[in-house]
Amino acid sequence: MPTRPFFPCAGARALHAPTRREFLYGLGASIGGLAFTSLLRAEEKPNPLAPHPGHFPAKAKNCIFLMMEGGPSHIDTFDPKPKLAELHLQEFVRQGKQKSAMESGKRYYVRSPFAFHKCGQSGADMAENWEHLAGVADDLCFFRGCQVDSVNHPTAMYQMNCGNRFGGDPAIGAWVTYGIGSLNQNLPGFIVLPEVSYPQGGAANWSNGFLPAHFQGTPLRPKGSPILDIDPPAGVNMERERVNLDLIAQLNQMQQARHPWQDELAARMDNYELAFRMQAQVPEVLDLSQEDAKTKELYGIGRDATDSFGRKCLLARKLVEKGVRFVQLYNGSWDSHDYIERAHGNLIRSVDQPIAALISDLKQRGLLESTLIVWCGEFGRTPDNGVRMGTTYGRDHNPKAMTIWLAGGGCHAGHTIGATDELGMEAVEGVAHVRDFHVTLLRLLGLDDNKLTYYHAGRFKQLSQFGGKVIRDLIA
Amino acid sequence: MKLPFHLFPLRGTITAFGLFVSMQTLRADDPAELLYVRRIAPLFSEKCLSCHGNDVHKIKGGLDMRSLESVLRGGDSEEAAINPGKPEESPLYLAATRQHEPDWKPMPPKEADKLYAQQVEWIKEWIAGGAPWPDKGRAEEIAKANATKWAAEDGAPVKTSGGLSPEWTNRKYKPENLWAYQPVKKPATTGDGPAAIDELIRARLPADLPVAPPADRVTLIRRATFDLTGLPPTPEEIDTFVHDSLSDAEAFAKVVDRLLASPHYGERMAQHWLDVVRYADSSGFSNDYVRGNAWRYRDYVVRAFNEDKPYDQFVREQIAGDEIDPANPEMLIATGFLRMGPWELTSMEVAKVARQRFLDDVTNSVGETFLAHSLQCARCHDHKFDPVPTRDYYGIQAVFATTQLAERAAAFLPDENTNGFEEKRYLEESLADHRATLTRLDEKSLKAADAWLAEKKIDPSQWNAALERARHMPKLQRGSLFNTARDLLLKQGVPEDQFPPRQLALTREEFGLERIANKGLERLAWELERYEPFALTVYDGRTPQVTAVFRPQRMMPNRLTAGELEEPCIHLGGDPFSKGPAVSPCVLSVLGDIQTTPIPDGIEGRRKAFAEWVASQNNPLTTRAIVNRIWLWHFGQAIAGNPNNFGSTGKKPTHPELLDWLAATLVEKGWSCKAMHRLIMNSEAYRRSAEHPDRKRLAEKDPDGSSYAVFRPRRLTAEELRDAMLSATGELNLTMGGIPNRPEINLEAALQPRQVMGTFAAAWTPNPFPQQRNRRSLYALKLRGLVDPAMEVFNSPAPDFSCERREASTVTPQVFSLFNSKASYARALALAARATHETTSDRAAIERCFRLACGRLPDDREFTACLAHWQKVRAQSPTPLVFARPPLEVRREAIEENTGENFAFAEKLYDSADYVPDLQPSDVDARTRALADVCLAIFNTNDFAYAY
Repeated sequence: MPTRPFFPCAGARALHAPTRREFLYGLGASIGGLAFTSLLRAEEKPNPLAPHPGHFPAKAKNCIFLMMEGGPSHIDTFDPKPKLAELHLQEFVRQGKQKSAMESGKRYYVRSPFAFHKCGQSGADMAENWEHLAGVADDLCFFRGCQVDSVNHPTAMYQMNCGNRFGGDPAIGAWVTYGIGSLNQNLPGFIVLPEVSYPQGGAANWSNGFLPAHFQGTPLRPKGSPILDIDPPAGVNMERERVNLDLIAQLNQMQQARHPWQDELAARMDNYELAFRMQAQVPEVLDLSQEDAKTKELYGIGRDATDSFGRKCLLARKLVEKGVRFVQLYNGSWDSHDYIERAHGNLIRSVDQPIAALISDLKQRGLLESTLIVWCGEFGRTPDNGVRMGTTYGRDHNPKAMTIWLAGGGCHAGHTIGATDELGMEAVEGVAHVRDFHVTLLRLLGLDDNKLTYYHAGRFKQLSQFGGKVIRDLIA
Repeated sequence: MKLPFHLFPLRGTITAFGLFVSMQTLRADDPAELLYVRRIAPLFSEKCLSCHGNDVHKIKGGLDMRSLESVLRGGDSEEAAINPGKPEESPLYLAATRQHEPDWKPMPPKEADKLYAQQVEWIKEWIAGGAPWPDKGRAEEIAKANATKWAAEDGAPVKTSGGLSPEWTNRKYKPENLWAYQPVKKPATTGDGPAAIDELIRARLPADLPVAPPADRVTLIRRATFDLTGLPPTPEEIDTFVHDSLSDAEAFAKVVDRLLASPHYGERMAQHWLDVVRYADSSGFSNDYVRGNAWRYRDYVVRAFNEDKPYDQFVREQIAGDEIDPANPEMLIATGFLRMGPWELTSMEVAKVARQRFLDDVTNSVGETFLAHSLQCARCHDHKFDPVPTRDYYGIQAVFATTQLAERAAAFLPDENTNGFEEKRYLEESLADHRATLTRLDEKSLKAADAWLAEKKIDPSQWNAALERARHMPKLQRGSLFNTARDLLLKQGVPEDQFPPRQLALTREEFGLERIANKGLERLAWELERYEPFALTVYDGRTPQVTAVFRPQRMMPNRLTAGELEEPCIHLGGDPFSKGPAVSPCVLSVLGDIQTTPIPDGIEGRRKAFAEWVASQNNPLTTRAIVNRIWLWHFGQAIAGNPNNFGSTGKKPTHPELLDWLAATLVEKGWSCKAMHRLIMNSEAYRRSAEHPDRKRLAEKDPDGSSYAVFRPRRLTAEELRDAMLSATGELNLTMGGIPNRPEINLEAALQPRQVMGTFAAAWTPNPFPQQRNRRSLYALKLRGLVDPAMEVFNSPAPDFSCERREASTVTPQVFSLFNSKASYARALALAARATHETTSDRAAIERCFRLACGRLPDDREFTACLAHWQKVRAQSPTPLVFARPPLEVRREAIEENTGENFAFAEKLYDSADYVPDLQPSDVDARTRALADVCLAIFNTNDFAYAY
C-alpha cells in the first residue's frame, strides 16, 4: 500500500506563490544582505524568523561554528599518535580493495612535527603550539569518532555543512533558524564570516537549499563591500539616492493602484525602504571601534598572525550578543599536503589566541553556557604521505578519522569521546557518521532532527538525510 | 539505564485478557476483524515491524508486534501496548497520534514516516472494536472473500518487473496516484483547436465565476513577446498590432505567428530547456573545469526549437544521437545532454565511486527531463510511493553502463556561429606567461643545483646525465627540467640525499607561483577546447581504467575491447560495492507493453533502443511531460504542478482532460512544439486580462488560482530583466549562438578569489567590447562556481539540480542589484541617451523611455512626476559619475596551502587592456545625465519588472 505523505503547512506553502510576508527576509546566497523586519505590519502572518520554541528545552541558544576549511589534521592537533614516530618514513601499505590515485603508489608513515602535552584538569591532548587554547582545555569536549563519506573538499564541505554531499540542501544554520527562528529581528538569523577567498563549493555552503529564502546564510565579506552593491556607484550621495527612491516610490504607488490585488507589489515597494536603511546600518554592525583596547588585544587584533581571525571571533561574539542565532566563521585552507609543520604551525597560530579569547570572553559575559561553539573541518588527514619521499612531510585527505571539538552550550566539557586507531587512520571507538553529529548538534540546540523536516521533491527532508542517532556522550 | 523509548509508560494497564480470547470466535463480518486484515496488518508491516519484529535480534524497546500476545505483553516496561476496546488507554494508539508527548513518544519516530490521519483513525477503530487478531489462515480467508470488493475500493496491485520483496510487488495503489501511467486518452470536444482548450477549461470553471475580459492589445503583445522570445516588443511592433484592423483574435494570431517565426523564439525555449537539463559551461565541484564545448549543445537546443524539430526526434537525439548517426556532428553535440550534470574525477576519489555518480546522475536526469519522473527514489530501495522497483532503476541505468564520457572530434556546422575565436589570444598570453614562470623558476633551481652539489661535495656527473636525458624527453614533468631530472633519479633508486631537493632555492612566493602556473596550464587546456571542433559528448565502450580526469578526455582507441565491461546489477542500499541481483538494460516496467524495440545487451545500441521507447507516441509520460512544460511556460503554472514529478508525490493535474488533449494533439501535429504554442496562445484563456472584475468572488471560488478565469501576471526572470534593459536602451547585440560571452558582473564578485583544487580559478573578465558584453543573457558564460549575483538574486537557478519551474521571490538584495549596481546606472544612462537622441521635447523623451521600458505611455501623473524629477536633478547638475573599469591585474592574497603562510601574487586580466567602456556619463550632456536618474527609476518600477 503506498503511503501518501502528509503535507505540513510550511512545505505546502512553499509550493505556492510566496506571500508578501516571505519577501522581506531572504537574501541572495552570494550577495546576501541584512533584513530588517521592523517595517512589517502587525496584521500580517507570523514572522518565520521570530523566535519559537524547539522540540526540547535546550541550554544552547546560539551557535558559533568555526569551520577550518581544507581538513585540519587530527594527528597534528588534538589526537597524538606516538606510534608514528616509530614508523616515520617506513613504507605504508594500505588495506582495502579500491584505491584512489591519491592512495596509490609508494607511501610512507609521517610522524607529527609537533610535541603534545596534556592540558587542564581534564588532561586533554593538544599539540604544544595551541598555547592559548590550552588555557581553556577544560571547556572543550573532543570528539574523535566522526566519519564522513567524501574525500573531495567541496563534497565533504557540503556534507559537513548541509548533510548532503552534492550540495543544494539547506545548511545547518538554515535548518536551525528555520527550527527556532532568531532572537534579533533586525539582523539575519544566520550570518557567515567567510575568508576573502570563498571555500571550495562556494556559497552553496551556506545555502537555504529548499527552505524559504529568509533562512539563507548572509555572508559579510571581509574586504570591500560587506554586501555587494549595498552602496551605489562612487559619486552618488545619500541625498541623490533618496530622491531617486522617492520617484520610484511615487511611480510604484501609482502603478500599484492599478493592481491593488497584487500583494507582492507592496512587498516589493517595502524592500526599497528596507534597503535604504540597511545602507546605514550594516557598517554600524561591523564597526569594532567601540570595543576597548584590552578586548582587542585579547583577541589578537592588530597583530599580523591573529588580526584576521581575531576580528571574526570578536564580531561573532558581538553578533551572538545581539541575538543572531547562528554564526559561521571560515578559516583556512588547512589542506596541508606538504610541509605540514610550517602550514599547520602557521594556521594554528592564526586561530589559537582568537578562539581562546572567544571562549573566555563569552564565559566572562555569562554567554558560554548558552552558546555552542563547534570547531571542525570537512575531514581529517592521513597518517601517511605519498611520493614526496619524506622531504616535504604532509598529509592527504582522510574521511575516516578527524577531531571535532565543542565548547559551551551544554556539551560534555572536559571529556574526550571516541578514539582512532594507533595510527590515526580510522575511528575505532565511539564511531559515528557525520549525520549523527548533526543530529547531536540539533539536539543541543533543542531540535529533533526527525521533526525538523520540510517537504520537498516528493519527500520530507531533514538535515541528517535519513535520520541519525544522538551521540549522548557529547552532551553534558 | 532508562530506555528512551516511552511507548509503554506506567499508565498502561491490561484489563481484558479474557476479551481477547473470545475475539477468536467472532463472526466473519466483524468489521474490526475485516479492518485488521485490510488495514492494520499491512500498516504494521509497513510502519512498525522493521523495528518491532522483523529482526528478532534487534527489537526496539523490547516490543514485538508480530502477535497480539506479544503486543499485550508490551515492551521492556511490561505494559500492554493496546487495551482492547479502549483506544484512549492504548499506548500504541496514543503514540501513533503524536499528540501525547512526553507520556508517549510519537511512533514511528521519524516525522517523515508518520501515519496520516486516516491510518491513525483505523488503529483507533480497530482497538475500539476489540482489537481482533485473526490467525494467518483466517486472515487469508477474509482477504480472499473480499478481494474483489476491496480492489475496487482501494486500488489494485500494479504489474512491474517486481520489487525486492513480495509485499512491495503486491502492494496496492490508489488509481488517482497512477494517472500518469495510464494511456493518453483524448477527450471528445465539440470545438477544435484553441476552442477545445477553452472548452476543457470551462468544464472545470467553478460555477458562478465570471472570467476576466480579454487583455488590451498593448498588454497582450508585451505578454506574448516575453513569453515567446524573452524580449520586450518594440514600440513599432506594438503600434502595428494596436492599429491592426483585424479582430482581436485574428490580429493576435498574426502576432503569434510572427513571434514563432522569430529566431529569438528558439533562444527563449532553450532557456527553459537548459533550466531543466542543468546547463553550465563548467563541471562543478573541486576543479570546476571549463567545459569548452558545452556552448555547442546550448546552440543545438536553440536550433532544434527554431526548426521546430519534432519533439520525439529531439528526445532521441539527446539520448542517443551518437548511436543514431556518429558521422553527423549535430548528433554528437545533441548527446551533450547526457553530460550536463556536474561531474569530476579527482585523484582523491575512487574511480568507481565517481563513475557511479555519473550513472546515477544520468539515470535520474533522463527520468526527470523526459518522463517527468524522478527515478533516484528507487536507487537505494524499491520506490516508496510509486510503482518503480529498484530493479527498473538499475535496469535503466544499465542502458548507460557502456556510455563513456569524452570530448569527441565534431566538425563545426555551417549553422554554428564560429565568430570571435580570436579572443583565444588572451588565453594564449596567459599560457605563455605561465610557461615563462615555470622556465624562470626552473632556471633558478638548476642554477642553484650546481652550488648545492658543490657544497655537498657530490659528484655532479649523475645529476648532469639525468638533466641531459631530461632535455630529450618529449614531455617534462611539471614543465621543469629540474623536476624531470629529479624524477628520473628517483626512479633509478638513487638515494635522495645524492641530488638536489625539490623546489631548490625557491622563495615562498615562487613556491606558490610554481603551483599557480602549473594549475593554470592545466585549466587553460580545458578553456582552449572552446575554439576547437570538439563536442562535449559520449561514446559507447568499455569503461576505461582512468583514475583522474584533469584534461579533456578523448575516445579510447580500443573502446570495445579495452577496459571493464560493466555488469549491471542492483546496488543494495545504493552502495556501488554492494552487489545485488544482476539486471539487463530495460525500460520502466509499469508502463507495460509499449516497448517495440528490445534493448540489446551489447556495448552499442542500448541508448538508441531505449530512446525509441522514451520517444514512443504511446509513452504517456513523455507526451504529457512536454505539453505540461509548454503550458507552464505560458501560464506560469503547469497543469500537473510538478513538471519533473508525475509520481504520487507530485501535484495532480488540475485539468487532466486538458493535459491529455494536449498530449494527444502534440502527436497528431507531428510532435510540433510550435503547433502547441499556437493552440495555447490563441485560446481565450491565454488572452485574458490579469484584471478580474470580481476579485472577491475569484478569491472565494478559486483560492488556488487554478481556474484560468484570470491571467496571472509574472515577474520577469533574471535573464529577461537584463535583456529587456539592454533592448530598451538599444545596446542589445542580437547575434545568435557561438562561444559564451562574458558580460560585466559586479566587479567585486568578478574579482573575488575563488578556490579550486590546489589553486585559484581565474578572475571573471568581461569581454573588451560592449557589443560582445551586451549579448542576450542566454549566452553568458555559466560557471557553476561563480554565479552572476544579479542573476542569482532574481532566482536564476543553480545548475546542480534540474529546475522545473522558476521561482520569483522578492528579496532585499534585488534592490541593491537593480537600484545600486553599475549595470543599472549604465543602462539608465543609455536609455536616457537614446530617448534624448530620438526625440525633440522633454515630453517626448519621457514618453519614449516609458514605451521602450514598459511598452506603454506614462499617464499624466507618471509623466508629471518624472518631469519634475528630471528638472530637479538638472537644476542640481551633479558631477558626472565615472564608471569603474576592470583593472589590468588583481592582487591575490591567500594562505598558501604548502606553507600556511600568507602568499600574494598578481593575476593579470589579459582582456582588460583592450576594454572599451559602455557609454559614460561624461559622453552625454547634463540634460541627458539628469534624465538617466528618471530612467533608473523607471527600470525599478513594477510595470517594468512584471508582465501582465
